[in-house]
Amino acid sequence: MTAFPILSRFQNDCHVKVVEAEPAQSIDALAAACAYHSIGVHVKDQPGKILRVRPTSDSDDAEPWPRDMTVAEAGIKYFDSIDIYFTDPGAS
Amino acid sequence: MALLDRSDWYDIARDTNWTPGYVSREEIFPPQLSDPYAIPVEEWETFDEPYKVSYREYVKIQREKDSSAYSVKAALSRSKFHDDLDEGWASVLKLHYGAVALTEYQACQFQARMVRFGPSPSMRNMATYGMLDELRHAQLQLFFPHELVTRDRQYDWAHEAAHTKNWAILGGRHAIDDIMMCRDAVTGTIMVSFAFETGLTNLQMVGLSTDAANMGDFTFANMITSIQSDEARHAQLGSPAIEIMIKNGKKKEAQQAVDVAFWRMWRLFAVTVGIPMDYYIPLDQRHMSFKEFMHEWIIRQYDRQVRDLGLETPWYWDLLKDDIENHHHCQQGGIWSWRPTVWWNPPGAVGPRERDWLEEKYPGWNDSFGTYWDVITDNLLHGREEKTHPECIPIICNMCQIPISNRPGEAWKARALQLEHEGRRYNFCTEPCRWIFTTDPERYKHHLTIVDRMYSGEIDPPTLDNVLTYMGIGVVSEGGHDGHDYSWVDGFRTQAAE
Repeated sequence: MTAFPILSRFQNDCHVKVVEAEPAQSIDALAAACAYHSIGVHVKDQPGKILRVRPTSDSDDAEPWPRDMTVAEAGIKYFDSIDIYFTDPGAS
Repeated sequence: MALLDRSDWYDIARDTNWTPGYVSREEIFPPQLSDPYAIPVEEWETFDEPYKVSYREYVKIQREKDSSAYSVKAALSRSKFHDDLDEGWASVLKLHYGAVALTEYQACQFQARMVRFGPSPSMRNMATYGMLDELRHAQLQLFFPHELVTRDRQYDWAHEAAHTKNWAILGGRHAIDDIMMCRDAVTGTIMVSFAFETGLTNLQMVGLSTDAANMGDFTFANMITSIQSDEARHAQLGSPAIEIMIKNGKKKEAQQAVDVAFWRMWRLFAVTVGIPMDYYIPLDQRHMSFKEFMHEWIIRQYDRQVRDLGLETPWYWDLLKDDIENHHHCQQGGIWSWRPTVWWNPPGAVGPRERDWLEEKYPGWNDSFGTYWDVITDNLLHGREEKTHPECIPIICNMCQIPISNRPGEAWKARALQLEHEGRRYNFCTEPCRWIFTTDPERYKHHLTIVDRMYSGEIDPPTLDNVLTYMGIGVVSEGGHDGHDYSWVDGFRTQAAE
């Protein structure tokens, strides 16, 4: 399968950005791909924090996907909106 | 021979109407172009415009207005005003002319539809003057920037913008096609004459003229004043139509038309007026913030006018008030970040003094929008200009065609509101934009945003160069760069040195 666009809703960013996702890439790799377009561009880095990814929901409380799960396993599809947010190391 | 007073003959002449004998009235005035609400013609004959003018008076007044506008331009054309012009104000002019000049021709066609299909004879009479008004506005706003094209090609967007597929033009065209070009005469006059012209543009022109005078741009100030005086007259076509609709049991339909049009035009208005007022006009020349302008001229007055007519305050009024403190700040960031995609040179204009002003006018600005500009400023201070150009695109709203954005920083409000319709996923910036889609999905469902076009194969391959060319950048003129060559960052250098 080929790359497809998803909507990156990156914590503290002003814009929802279109980022390419690969079905075989891990959730961590997807977070890094989204971070490339936000951190140091429109969002200040938070060194030491871990990026987690969850589906966008109205109440902002969806469970994050396991970091080593693949995009395909997570069921992320064309133009799905995902949240990428900073967490403390060791936080659930 | 002495002329009769206008009041002696006006009503008779204005109300000239006839009952067709060879064809039905529906054939002359098809409901889908005239009145889809089936209001009896006798009711439409009660249409009474508040402002009355005869053709003789109209021609005399318009000739004087044109004479004034063109003679001021001629007198000042040899001045050195444009030699030393701040690029912030130049951006106001380029944005204004590109967005507005040919839209006036569309407005002329819209008025012509009322001239032909308006169900009331007095509506047709007044719209005739409105049609001529809009023609004059198009000609003025094409002619005035034309002499500047040799100086700066970006002024050519006055003539070219509406013929391109620039993302900003797609936004304007989507809204104008919706409320102006593809509506019947009755709905159109409610949407355009009342919601758009009475609600927003008439008052905006008063403010814009003041800004131009403060900048010393008396040519532009005079032209805008000339246009505004027409607008103040023909905008009055909307109120009598709303009154007749309410009287005939069509309040719900009138309310929806007003609410759809006002929100649609508000989203564009904030970009074309809010950003210039709070960012492009140099700090020392700003006469009020956009928020102050909106509350003083729009929020209070429009809401009162709506209720005086018997309609309700739009359901999204609280969302609008929040958007006044949010939307144009987001789009200033977005337009500046993706500046190569526009036809003007947007200044960042967020140096230390400007930020103090923004914080004073919009308490909390530094904690939200300031965090966005902190990163950009840091990149510029440390020689990382390339990091100020994002390598991706923002998702675009399927209604207003503007990047989906919201307060950055701790607030983190940016969110695409999604809707599935007939197997296609649509993204919206706000609840009102999503609501507008649901009022008439058939009307809106086929349109593709610039992002949709990149992923549908219409722009193939969707490389940066191809996308820019598709949008007319590098074709009509070069795209934008920072209007002040990043000089607004100097204040932070000075602060750091101290």
